[in-house]
Amino acid sequence: MDTMPAKLVHGFLRQSAERFPDKTAVIHENRRASYDEIFSGSRNLAAHLTASGVQKGDRVVLMHENSVEYVVAYYGILIAGGVVVSLNPGTQPDGLRPLFDELSPTAVVASVKVTGTLRTIGGYPDSLRQIILTRRITTAGGPLPIPVTIFDDLPAPAPDFREPDIDENDLAAIIYTSGSTGKPKGVMLTHRNIVANTYSICSYLELTENDIQMAVLPFFYVMGKSLLNTHVAAGGTVVINNKFAFPASVVQQMINEKVTGFSGVPSTFAYLLHRSPLAASREKLISLRYVSQAGGHMARQIKLALRKALPGHTKIIIMYGATEASARLTWLDPGHFSEKIDSIGKAIPGVTISIVGPDGGILPPNQTGEIVASGDNIMRGYWQNEKATRKVLDRNGYHTGDMGYMDGDGYIYVTGRSDNQLKAGGHRVDPQEIEDAIMESDLLIELSVIGIPDRLMGNRLVGLSAPVGETVTENSVLAFAAKALPRHKVPSAIHFVKSLPKNANGKIDRAACERIIMERSGSSAA
Amino acid sequence: MSHAEKIREFVVNNFLFGDGSRLQNDTSFLESGIIDSTGILEVITYIEETFGIKVNDDELLPENLDSVDNIVGFISRKTGCAA
Repeated sequence: MDTMPAKLVHGFLRQSAERFPDKTAVIHENRRASYDEIFSGSRNLAAHLTASGVQKGDRVVLMHENSVEYVVAYYGILIAGGVVVSLNPGTQPDGLRPLFDELSPTAVVASVKVTGTLRTIGGYPDSLRQIILTRRITTAGGPLPIPVTIFDDLPAPAPDFREPDIDENDLAAIIYTSGSTGKPKGVMLTHRNIVANTYSICSYLELTENDIQMAVLPFFYVMGKSLLNTHVAAGGTVVINNKFAFPASVVQQMINEKVTGFSGVPSTFAYLLHRSPLAASREKLISLRYVSQAGGHMARQIKLALRKALPGHTKIIIMYGATEASARLTWLDPGHFSEKIDSIGKAIPGVTISIVGPDGGILPPNQTGEIVASGDNIMRGYWQNEKATRKVLDRNGYHTGDMGYMDGDGYIYVTGRSDNQLKAGGHRVDPQEIEDAIMESDLLIELSVIGIPDRLMGNRLVGLSAPVGETVTENSVLAFAAKALPRHKVPSAIHFVKSLPKNANGKIDRAACERIIMERSGSSAA
Repeated sequence: MSHAEKIREFVVNNFLFGDGSRLQNDTSFLESGIIDSTGILEVITYIEETFGIKVNDDELLPENLDSVDNIVGFISRKTGCAA
């Protein structure tokens, strides 16, 4: 690259728009958007946000499914100096209200699908001055009680529009992640955090402008966001496919668009292996340079099956990270895939990983302790949550909550999590948050939500509960859950018992709950 | 009961908790958020068992499975081919 490295996240887009204005940056369904088109759209939005009073450091909520509009909005908010808060567009009003309260956003950019939620949320924070929709509302339901602007109506910036001065230490994004206390925590990432991690990933993946990434993971989570930033930084192309539930369409598009990289979480690959024509298509995936996996431990048999199903020239890259690390912490060089198959590899460039004992000291090889990371990619802290920040950030760096060890060659192995968080279908979920939301129904006396190991999903959420009376049905509880929670947090089943098993100090015995669920399901862990 | 009615009933009972007001026969399951990838697997199991067909991996496409109408068309094509 002959240009200076970008110091700001939107610098990636600016540089690629200067280098490759006519190159396709994003493909989604029938739309192919060039770098110039996306940059112009982002500048239009930035100018509008600035003119309407959005200032550096203001939170701007982005609720949108993966699309060209998402990309335009994401970089546009950053150009305006805003802090992008990408939220799951499926967030229900009850989940959104506390986030609005603690964020005090000045603007919301949303897809028309979110208007129902925005209409029923019942009051906005005083800070919120406008909603920007990426398409005109055509459905009935009445106007929103706040000024609304439509993306397509945004004019080109006025000649005197001046982008705000932004420092690399300014906040760029807040990404919500479920915390161990059940309340979602907002991970604060600066421009420096994201830029450092993006360039590090670009270097170990050897990304160039010839790379074409298939993106099936949502951009509102850190891994999806990282796929976007790295490919925009490299001047490559991102192919958005939101229909992974139909994996044959994804495999077909990978062939048609000559995709060079595919990334997923363990359940993505389990699904691809079991319900897609991946193996039958291996001769046609001639451009596929690598697949990368992160988002939790992937079983060895899936790794081996994937190796068999993929073309010989396609590398498998196992990675490990955290939202608190702007995405990535380690990668396993594919040259050591077989030899170190259970390892998450070594720290990526710019990151240091230590295994730390209970007294804070660094442990020698082969001793298990907590995985602690430091580097420019580590978050500033959790939004308005000093207590939680102090718990995970100290002089050693970021305490991941994962336990593990390093072997004699320096390769790291994760042995388990130090708390109860679960990965279900690629989402990080906290059972307590789900339990709290469902208990609001007043239909149950007590409830425990357990992750039952599942070959495809990583974990399947199942509830064990005691209903308040005989008239309460499992379906009525699930119907309430479906209204109160995004779909990925809704348990797949609820089993009723007279009361939940408890241990000696009265706490619910989760292991015993799991055993009851397994007996009721009549199946063993996959 | 027609194929469309059977499929509709299954989706309403299993994913909409009995409330079919949101579901038209041409509603996309995915776009409307009614069914996710796990749910699609349940739909496939249902149509395989109910209509005696096998859904192949390369047939897992929205045009075959992403609405009541698409499933009805898919079943007709499959059973037509089989006849």
